[in-house]
Amino acid sequence: MAEVDTELLNRIDKLQLGERNQRWKKAMKASGWKLFADREKWTVASWRETEGEDIQIRRALLFKKIVENVEIRIHDYDLIVGRATPGVIGCATSIDVCGDYIPDIWKDTAELRITMDANVGLDPESLEILRTSAKTFGGRTAPEMTYRKWEALVGSWMKDAEAAKLKDPTLDTAIFGQTTSVLMWQKILGKGLGSFIEEARGHLAAGETDVDKVNFWKSAIIVCEAAMNHAHRYGALAREMAENEARPERKKELLQIASACEHVPEHPARTFHEALQSMAIIGVCKLYEHPMHNNPQWGRGDQYLYPYFMRDIANGTITLEKAAELLAELIGRWGTQTFVASESLKESHQINFGINNIMVGGLDASGADRSNELSYLFLHVVGLLQLSSPTVGLRWNRKTPLWLMRKAIQTNMVTKGGIPLFENDEVVISRFVEDGIPMEEAAEWCGLGCVYPCLPTRAEHYGAEGIAACNLAAMLHLVLHNGVDINGKRTGLETGDPRNFSSFDELYDALMKQHQFITHRSFRLAAVAREEQHKYVRLPFLSTVGIQRCMDLGQDLLIPDPESSMFGISDRAIIDVADSLMAIKKLVFDEKKLMMDELLAALDSDFAGKRGEEIRQMCLAQPKFGNDIDEVDRLAGKISEDSYAVIRSYDNSPFRNYMVAREGLAWHYFGGLGAGALPNGRKALEPLNDGSVSPMRGADRNGPTAVLRSALKAGFKESHASVLNQKFSSAILRSSESIDKLVAYTNAFMSNGGSHIQYNMVDTNELKDAKIHPEEHRDLIVRIGGFSAYFTQLSPDIQDDVINRNEHAL
Amino acid sequence: MGPETKNGTAVITNIQGFSLHDGPGIRTVVFFKGCPLFCHWCANPECRSGKPQMGFIRTLCTGCGKCLEVCPEQAIRGEGEHRIDRSRCTACGLCSEQCHYGALVRYGEAMTVDDVMDAVRRDRMFYADSGGGVTVSGGEPLLSAQFVRELFERIRNEQINTCVETCGMGSPEVLLQLIPVTDHFLFDLKLMDDDAHSRYTGCSNRQILHNAALVAGRGADVLFRQPLVPGVNDSSGNIEATARFLRSLGGNAARLQIMPFHGMGVSKYRALDLPYTMEGVASADDKHVEAVRQAYLSCGIDCTVSR
Repeated sequence: MAEVDTELLNRIDKLQLGERNQRWKKAMKASGWKLFADREKWTVASWRETEGEDIQIRRALLFKKIVENVEIRIHDYDLIVGRATPGVIGCATSIDVCGDYIPDIWKDTAELRITMDANVGLDPESLEILRTSAKTFGGRTAPEMTYRKWEALVGSWMKDAEAAKLKDPTLDTAIFGQTTSVLMWQKILGKGLGSFIEEARGHLAAGETDVDKVNFWKSAIIVCEAAMNHAHRYGALAREMAENEARPERKKELLQIASACEHVPEHPARTFHEALQSMAIIGVCKLYEHPMHNNPQWGRGDQYLYPYFMRDIANGTITLEKAAELLAELIGRWGTQTFVASESLKESHQINFGINNIMVGGLDASGADRSNELSYLFLHVVGLLQLSSPTVGLRWNRKTPLWLMRKAIQTNMVTKGGIPLFENDEVVISRFVEDGIPMEEAAEWCGLGCVYPCLPTRAEHYGAEGIAACNLAAMLHLVLHNGVDINGKRTGLETGDPRNFSSFDELYDALMKQHQFITHRSFRLAAVAREEQHKYVRLPFLSTVGIQRCMDLGQDLLIPDPESSMFGISDRAIIDVADSLMAIKKLVFDEKKLMMDELLAALDSDFAGKRGEEIRQMCLAQPKFGNDIDEVDRLAGKISEDSYAVIRSYDNSPFRNYMVAREGLAWHYFGGLGAGALPNGRKALEPLNDGSVSPMRGADRNGPTAVLRSALKAGFKESHASVLNQKFSSAILRSSESIDKLVAYTNAFMSNGGSHIQYNMVDTNELKDAKIHPEEHRDLIVRIGGFSAYFTQLSPDIQDDVINRNEHAL
Repeated sequence: MGPETKNGTAVITNIQGFSLHDGPGIRTVVFFKGCPLFCHWCANPECRSGKPQMGFIRTLCTGCGKCLEVCPEQAIRGEGEHRIDRSRCTACGLCSEQCHYGALVRYGEAMTVDDVMDAVRRDRMFYADSGGGVTVSGGEPLLSAQFVRELFERIRNEQINTCVETCGMGSPEVLLQLIPVTDHFLFDLKLMDDDAHSRYTGCSNRQILHNAALVAGRGADVLFRQPLVPGVNDSSGNIEATARFLRSLGGNAARLQIMPFHGMGVSKYRALDLPYTMEGVASADDKHVEAVRQAYLSCGIDCTVSR
């Protein structure tokens, strides 16, 4: 790779947020949330027209109906067109995919709660549309039909397991294969949708007789043409607006928009501007097909867009300022698109915006680092935008250049936290390669929405398949109650009364047996789900523009493909369980300071009374992960290995084995609702530790380097990702000297095998004040797990959690 | 005044990893207990006495009474709000072991060179990448010079960088012993006027200035530092005198790092039942700090600010 243009980097450093971007931001903040029912109106209309058609064609026609009819608008600050709702921000629903999933629409309501803290206004007409849609689709969608299948098999077990937070909510999060993964951007930009149509026609012309394949290729042609028409609608609208536009400058812009939309995404992009415009149309079409949890993803945007960017800058087609403004426009838009989430998704994710991820830097298949000037611009622009979404990940490797690392730390300081996070490229690639993935594919990995590494080339069957975490803390709760969960139901295996355990090993084995029972049963039900859901829903657009193999095979991505499908799971709360087991080992078995009976009574009473509090303090005083204490760090490492073994022991044939990736999110809050008081001293229902390898809150008393040493000692080598959050005060990170020290700190951890690290740089006093005066701190961003969120939008217990996390004094 | 060292141990109050402001790179700072000066603005009053001491943090105390039960000297009074009877307390630390709430803290632990080595060695990987290492501070490490020398010899054998943070008060012989095993010195110059120095630190500055010249003259890498205490050492007279002195040392000594005063140490004074004479003195604000920095620059001193 050529030497980086340092003069260009210097120019990037000086860029400010464009005037157009500022107008957009202002409009967005003033706009509030608006429900957009128009999409749902067209789904119903299409569904009525296509009764009796094959599901593949039917879903393609539904897509076509939406994108060719849905209301579109061009705002005065738009240079790139294509947003999911006509208003600057708005929310759409996925009733056609998920069914009757919004209980509030049956109430006499003028508002819908769309996320943890945001309500959306609803006029009677829109409400009526949603109700009609729910009546049309409700009861016959993939999630609803799958739950019925499950019930026939195991009764209420799956719902009980979900209620006990033993695993994440699955179906009603509406996550299907590939929905938060990355599209074939290089092919889309380089060849245009026209080439996809030709490809499908070629397959059809070859005389294929398999009717399912034929229908897939037909559906591919329908959706590609529809997406092109969607762009053409924008082109026509822009021309019409240009005719009535009095300001010559804006008139010129509108004509520029028109000419771009007449050309892309149908044809190859000719410029940086057209490349972004092509992505915007494809991205919005992806959302129209299924708005919930299906946000467009940047993936390795710094690679896909690099040739267009450098060529235009070099030949003067675009100024650097303009390029940055355009990039900011689309990053901002994709970062602020939202949807009406299901009840369980609201609870488990705690975010207001669709998951959105940008990866920068990283290796290619030849082992060369691909960091470039556009990687740098991406970081600079997210620093200027100051938004909680997207998530930005830097693919750290030994060859990551110093200039990119410095920019990454600076961006962390500017954004007050977590942007970008660092993931170990070498660890992730080697995990994939060890699992038999060819290097060419492995090197193109991206964060799946957040930190979960995935391959853009393969459908990731999570959600119903159980990426949704399995909760080791809730499993420990089962073991301590002989199989009875937090809700008093016997969802677990009867592993014996713990009072009769004669050794620590007996307790440990019981936990792994419990794990195996819950996890393997979940996997079995996931297999049922993946055989069931494609009967009721297909995603022809996502399949066509997302995965080459779908086009090659003539098969929708929702149909499981043994050759290429990926399955991931996130086993969580390893640290909570390590600290808890350590406390039991010390207090009950080694030092015999407590009888198991007395400990269990204290846990069941949530450490009530004087003795209960004493016992809690004894528990808290036991060795905790994160302090470089060998015994507990190694126990955490052992749990990690054994949990992996339990997961991998499930025979998923003829499919690939489950891979393990321990992500973060705000899951610790959700997961905490599945466990009573724990022997690590945590009280009942309180949040678990954040991230997936972060120490217990306030328990890391030996400084940040001790936390890293604990993490390295425990290893966690089985997992593709292990989320470690560290919070630093922003006040100390002022000098360029500190930047280099934090670069060195990150390099040291990663080069010794750390897999992920994320810095939260927030001043504690600011957080406390923000809790009391939220109106004065609306811009404050904090990171939770792989996500960032506006602090004032978190529920109070999460706010406390952020405040309480031990602030490492630098 | 001297630290209690016996059998090759030193009294250490804290070993702090990931320190970014005590020499180059990422460092581990070893705080020695005991100091010959008595500066009014001191932010680490627990490092003044060379003996272990108990600190009591009232806000964390729940009045549970556990400490009263275990104290062998009956040094804790417990009717109503607890307090430590300093005349009886031997800082044995039994009470802090029993206190679940962290309200009782023992400052100072006798450690061997082996103990300290074990602690500082752990962060090796961070030293290497950042150009960091180990800094001895306090208190005053020169009071434990023998210990420091042995420690530094072993640290340097492991190719780890060493740094001494000193108030400069000690015998020249002790200082000369340390120069060969020390990569960097951070050397405090608090006040140039001897009377004022005595008034604010309890000690003349003659020996300190002599030692400063000695270290600089031997070609050691030394960065002089000055706590900037409003109303104490920010006069133009002191600035000019400091600058003159630094210039007289020649070499690379004409550098100064300002460390703006802050009142964050006050909670430790309260915990130790010590009077705090700087109560109510505002922290040096950015504007003032910058003005002082500019004054130093105009005197030909390469002046930076530590944050």
